[in-house]
Amino acid sequence: MIFGAIKLAVIWFVLMTVVYLLVSVYSRSVRRERLEKRFDAGGVAGDRDAYIEAGMVKYRHGLRRRLIVLVYIVPFIAAAVTGYLVN
Amino acid sequence: MWTKVKWGFRIVVILIVAVFLHYILPQRDIVKVTGVEQISSFQTSWPLFYAQADQGTVVQDTFSLRLIQTVRKRTWLFGLIDRGEQTLVYRNQDTGWIWPPFFKFDSSDLQAEAAKMAQDQPPGWAVMTHYGWRIIFITVYPNAISLRPIESPDVVLIPWVNIIILSFLGFVVFMLRRMWLQFWERTVDPAVANAEEAWDAVDARADAARAQTQGFFGRIGAWFATWRGKPGK
Repeated sequence: MIFGAIKLAVIWFVLMTVVYLLVSVYSRSVRRERLEKRFDAGGVAGDRDAYIEAGMVKYRHGLRRRLIVLVYIVPFIAAAVTGYLVN
Repeated sequence: MWTKVKWGFRIVVILIVAVFLHYILPQRDIVKVTGVEQISSFQTSWPLFYAQADQGTVVQDTFSLRLIQTVRKRTWLFGLIDRGEQTLVYRNQDTGWIWPPFFKFDSSDLQAEAAKMAQDQPPGWAVMTHYGWRIIFITVYPNAISLRPIESPDVVLIPWVNIIILSFLGFVVFMLRRMWLQFWERTVDPAVANAEEAWDAVDARADAARAQTQGFFGRIGAWFATWRGKPGK
């Protein structure tokens, strides 16, 4: 019983770490692409690299990046709700 | 030719996924519980279709298997067409922590509930949530998950859980595809472009070398140049 729970925790953690990495890489890439496109569309003064770097720093401290942590939390809640409803 | 192979492959994959989902997703039947039974030492050569033992009990080759005997309403097309009644036997096993992820631990309680319903006079209707298949040839039963009494058998059950799960799976596939395309566009394509530039540079180098390959010493020089990996000057 306890063994099963630990096994689940380990599997869940490994899986969700993979998902977390995938999502965060994707999210960062999308943000960078959007910054590049916004600069290339014109109307932005200054250096291109500096503009993109500043945008990425903003992203790193932003809410959206932190929300990716939900990847760990949501399946846990789903499992808890399932367990509650079934038993 | 290759298009056909590709599509054949895709169809096979889609079929496998569909069959898998049909096995694993919860379904609901409208049943009358007629009895409960326990096979005290059950043994199967298809452990794939059985949970091993109740959670917290010792795993053995033979295990005791709880069964719930019912009469169920048969329907077609999501309950639209009535096809009469049919007996169906469910097994009642814990799924435990890992797989399939129903987190069911209350087999004993479910069995007690079913036993109580079987004694009701007249027998009442209930909604049986279950997953799995009845395969008579290898004695496989669907696994009962929960039993909920209902007033009348004429209820419309909308499979919200499955709608949510399937939409979520669709969303996951969509996101994976977008991630893959993003990866391709941002990482692989630039790398290929770089490699192509490198090849162009090699070509230019080769042309330069060819220009030098006049006369014996020119050729030797060009050959040495290829060893050094630099264009001959």
